[in-house]
Amino acid sequence: MNSAVFPDARHAASARLDQCRKGATLRVIGLLPQSLFGSNDEQVGLRLKELGFLPGAQLKVIGFGLFGGDPMAVQINGTKFALRRAEAAKICVEEVTVTGGR
Amino acid sequence: MVGSRLNQTAASIDSGNAPLRFAMIGNPNCGKTSLFNCLTGARAKVANYPGVTVERRSGMISGLANNAELLDLPGTYSLFVTSPDEQVARDFILGNIQGEARPDLLIAVVDATNLRLGLRLVMELRSLNRPLILALNQMDAARKRGITIDTAGLSQDMGIPVIETVAVNSQGVDALKHELDQYTHHQAGDTQRLTLSDRQESVEAIYDKIESLVRAHVTQPANMPRWQDRLDQVVMHPVLGLMVLFSILLVVFQAVFAWATPIADSMDAGFGVLGGLLTQILPAGILREFLVNGIIAGVGGVIVFLPQIILLFLFILLLEDSGYLTRAAFLLDRPMRGLGLSGRSFIPLLSSFACAVPGVMATRTISDPRERFITIMVAPLMTCSARLPVYALIISAFIPRQTVAGIFNLQGLTLFGLYFAGVVSAALVAWVMRRRQTREEFPLLLELPSYRWPMAYHVYIGLRERVWIFMRRVGTIILSLSIILWFLATYPGAPAEATRPAIEYSFAGMLGSWMEPLFAPLGFNWQMCIALIPAMGAREVAVSALATVYAVAGGELALGSALHSSWSLPVAFAYLAWFVYAPQCISTIAVVKRETNSLKSTALFTVYLFGLAYLAAWVTYQISALLIH
Ligand SMILES: Nc1nc2c(ncn2[C@@H]2O[C@H](COP(=O)(O)OP(=O)(O)O)[C@@H](O)[C@H]2O)c(=O)[nH]1
Ligand SMILES: [Mg+2]
Repeated sequence: MNSAVFPDARHAASARLDQCRKGATLRVIGLLPQSLFGSNDEQVGLRLKELGFLPGAQLKVIGFGLFGGDPMAVQINGTKFALRRAEAAKICVEEVTVTGGR
Repeated sequence: MVGSRLNQTAASIDSGNAPLRFAMIGNPNCGKTSLFNCLTGARAKVANYPGVTVERRSGMISGLANNAELLDLPGTYSLFVTSPDEQVARDFILGNIQGEARPDLLIAVVDATNLRLGLRLVMELRSLNRPLILALNQMDAARKRGITIDTAGLSQDMGIPVIETVAVNSQGVDALKHELDQYTHHQAGDTQRLTLSDRQESVEAIYDKIESLVRAHVTQPANMPRWQDRLDQVVMHPVLGLMVLFSILLVVFQAVFAWATPIADSMDAGFGVLGGLLTQILPAGILREFLVNGIIAGVGGVIVFLPQIILLFLFILLLEDSGYLTRAAFLLDRPMRGLGLSGRSFIPLLSSFACAVPGVMATRTISDPRERFITIMVAPLMTCSARLPVYALIISAFIPRQTVAGIFNLQGLTLFGLYFAGVVSAALVAWVMRRRQTREEFPLLLELPSYRWPMAYHVYIGLRERVWIFMRRVGTIILSLSIILWFLATYPGAPAEATRPAIEYSFAGMLGSWMEPLFAPLGFNWQMCIALIPAMGAREVAVSALATVYAVAGGELALGSALHSSWSLPVAFAYLAWFVYAPQCISTIAVVKRETNSLKSTALFTVYLFGLAYLAAWVTYQISALLIH
């Protein structure tokens, strides 16, 4: 829904996690609202934060499911998580080009 | 014996009148259960929490000065819960469960290879101001990855004892016990319940603290072991991964049905010999009949399926402990979502192949209430191990041992077909239920734990627990049903001028003939009708019930040939079709009632499955009768 703010990963520095490709190393910028979760949206955001999806955290996209590339798997703080596109779209990220280190 | 009892009494007087209560809390997969087994010497008492059916595992800690009970809580990431099982963990800690005293001390278990996530929960626990010990588990794996942790520094900065442990070889368990021995008294005075009003600290603030703790006391290399990532490249690959998954499932089913058969057969032969022996030793009479036809035929007929049940649970335990199951959930999430389910429902549904009761209970990890409801409704359509005896008996009696297409065994294929019918029906039912309502989405947010070699000892403990539950069932429900059934089939005896078999004059015979008209459209005769009644207590009793009403006591083979001469093929098929859907055993209905907490849902559940069973058996009977004539 916020695609106007993040038109294209190449031009703007930021993108939504669900738009990223496999193998990308990313840094979390912040969390966006997601209307699909309705009244639970705040709770989902909190749980994401609790699991480590906080601004500054580095993550890596490690894979996608067969059907519609859903869900996706990411690795953050050494832990792997499976996220659906709906959750991933809440996470605003920027690409990290350097190798390793935070 | 007496001495130790006295000691116990002295100790418990010393520390109030009840044992101390310690509880183990931590993220899923951090090693709580393994550590629990180390501390209690694997003597767990498995029961349910009052009012809910989350498994409550408790045991006495061995080798402590005071009597202390340890509880293994469901895994949780946070005290701000999102699913019913996390709710239980939280309510327990806060003392909000009726009939459960609040624990005197919390043992927070943290996976040292997954430190930040674990420490976050510990920080939350710390703010409750309860006695707290941190067990840094999986230290062996952490060292192997080059992670070093300054435990003393961590302990000092966090203000709680920190003990390094390796649950798989009991390292650090003595140190942990030593620490536990410092707590000798119930927490005096503070009986008020803890509350979790609002978050006192933001998540960001907690993570900032963790970051500085980690920076000060932990050195860790950036990368996961390469082999884990390589394995995930294959296992989670969209196409290869699904192929791996189906191969694994195929191997599991092949193993359960092919490898277990020789053992089951020899057990069956053993019971046959035992029956024959008793027949020779004992004088003819009511006692002999009771032992041979009632007990040995009834209980023996069910115990022979133990090898299959053990194998099935073994595979489930291995897949779960290795960390593979969540990968399967990842792969299946999208296709299952089309049915109103999700990857999270995969694990409860897989357990339902062993038994629907733990399957229905496992739905507590599903946070979406609608999805959870649908999963509960379809879980019993997964063919549970109790149906296996019935299938196995009828298949071996009616389907020839033939090889088709070179490699497939016709009997095996039939069995596969029955399992498949259950799965397809579950998909259809879920799909229909999903269509009743639009809904807001719930997140998946599933942790994919690192792969581990399952530890033989802990798998053994898990298996032993399952076997024990099964044997207890055999010793109670199945034994009593067998006795009642034998009684009904024996009394009243046939009159002197009887021309027909004695059983037709018995209570069971009468019951059967009342039921027969109702089931006539399905082709069931009165013997088959009788067997349906005890099968509601435990499905596998249908086998021994048939043995009793056909008065065969010579193992499964003899029963098979008795059935073969009395049923036509369409009838046998119809009976199989009936068992794909029903009868739902009483324990399944009871667990559904408790889990949904709704009479309406339970009624819906029972009626829809009976309806489906009747319909499926009728259609099968009519169609196969048409085809065969
Ligand atoms: N290497 C290693 N593996 C462990 C240790 N403790 C537990 N595990 C493994 O971690 C997995 C999950 O353990 P479990 O006790 O079921 O965790 P729970 O979900 O917290 O109860 C199992 O495969 C265990 O064998 C440990 O100290 N070292
Ligand atoms: Mg456990």
